Amino acid sequence: MVNSYKMTRAAELEALPIFRDFLDSVCKEHGIGSEFRYDLKLAMDEACTNIITHGYAGMNPGSIMMEVQFQPSHIRLSITDFGLAFEPVETAAPDVNALLEDRVASGFGLYFIYQTMDEVEYRTTVDCNMLTLVKRRHAPDAA
Amino acid sequence: MKFLNLRVSQGPVKAPPSPAEISAGMLTHDAVGPISLRSINNLHENIKRRVYRGLLPASLLADFNIDPITYIGQNNSPSVEVTALPDSGLAKIMVLAPDGAQDPIATLELSDNTFNSIDLNLMVLNQPDGSRFATDVDLDGQPTIYGTVRRNLVEEQKAMEHGLAPGQIRSGLSASKLVLNQLETFLAMMGHRAYYLEPLTYASAWVFERRGFAYVRGHKLMDTIHVEFQPGGQLHASLDVSTPFRQSDQWKTVRGRAWAIHDGILDVLDERWDNLRMVKQLGKSADVVTFPESVY
Repeated sequence: MVNSYKMTRAAELEALPIFRDFLDSVCKEHGIGSEFRYDLKLAMDEACTNIITHGYAGMNPGSIMMEVQFQPSHIRLSITDFGLAFEPVETAAPDVNALLEDRVASGFGLYFIYQTMDEVEYRTTVDCNMLTLVKRRHAPDAA
Repeated sequence: MKFLNLRVSQGPVKAPPSPAEISAGMLTHDAVGPISLRSINNLHENIKRRVYRGLLPASLLADFNIDPITYIGQNNSPSVEVTALPDSGLAKIMVLAPDGAQDPIATLELSDNTFNSIDLNLMVLNQPDGSRFATDVDLDGQPTIYGTVRRNLVEEQKAMEHGLAPGQIRSGLSASKLVLNQLETFLAMMGHRAYYLEPLTYASAWVFERRGFAYVRGHKLMDTIHVEFQPGGQLHASLDVSTPFRQSDQWKTVRGRAWAIHDGILDVLDERWDNLRMVKQLGKSADVVTFPESVY
């Protein structure tokens, strides 16, 4: 039996602290450490900000649905929205080695997500867009 | 730098519904491909009737002594009308009242949308017994289209005082859960994963929230409405008894808010009740609550 928790809120920036608190709370219930929780919240924050500012741009925003599943080996965070689909393959990765004055402001949200999560899957269908983030509880054996 | 951990999957492709009939290939090779209403409507009449039989809960028909197979009701008269014309992406099912009264017990209208998915255009469930309020026509006899293009203020006030919500002519049947569950089963059989609707009123949006719908558009508006109906809010302040639909205690109930919104109270927020769109993912509940601890 998977331990699963859900929350749905309007896609607005004011919802971010609510999602963060929710995620923090359920992770604490499952004994997840602070550094791990920080990574999850950072990735969730960046993903939701992207949905709020781009996916629902120009309309009265709809919903963001978040589901957290705790499994023995990993935590799976699913973020569903019904706005415009995101095209991650068309987004250039930021040059993290560039001089500060040469860096562009955007693109770092995705970079943070990829850096902190072990798996990132984006699925867009006729009924929703779903970003699934997986973070393993323990690093896999090198062997 | 490449995003090594990223996997992207897309599909099915958002495409207009195919006008072709359901082929043997569709039925044998790809059980997850959605089948459009247009495809169903192009089937032979008898097959079409069998397919649409799955849209109505048998228990609802039984409650009114209507045979779920033949659709024959009391007095041996046909009691269900199915409108599903060939080459049309629309299906309308009406369950007629047993005594031949003008208002159907149930009306469902579905249509294909441009994303190869399904819209629930209309769901009206009327309690055939009891009072009827002529909110569907204005004082000149012109149709009001559920109060959206014209209003019959006299009948609306009577309906409100009788406990109805805007757009209703009779009390509801309290069968939305039953009908929507049946609709989900039907749509799953047709390979759809979700369906959409545009709630006519605040009260209908509230009902659909309780039935597991999320918002494609308008979730923030619903949150704003709740906040502004609280004491100190702009909508609360506009319940100024300037019309029968703006009584001071209406902020406390779903119906009270719905009538005030129907009366145009959202003007004070420079908002309108339109352009909301909701989605139901089959088998899932979004658990949206924009009016916590609500009273209907």
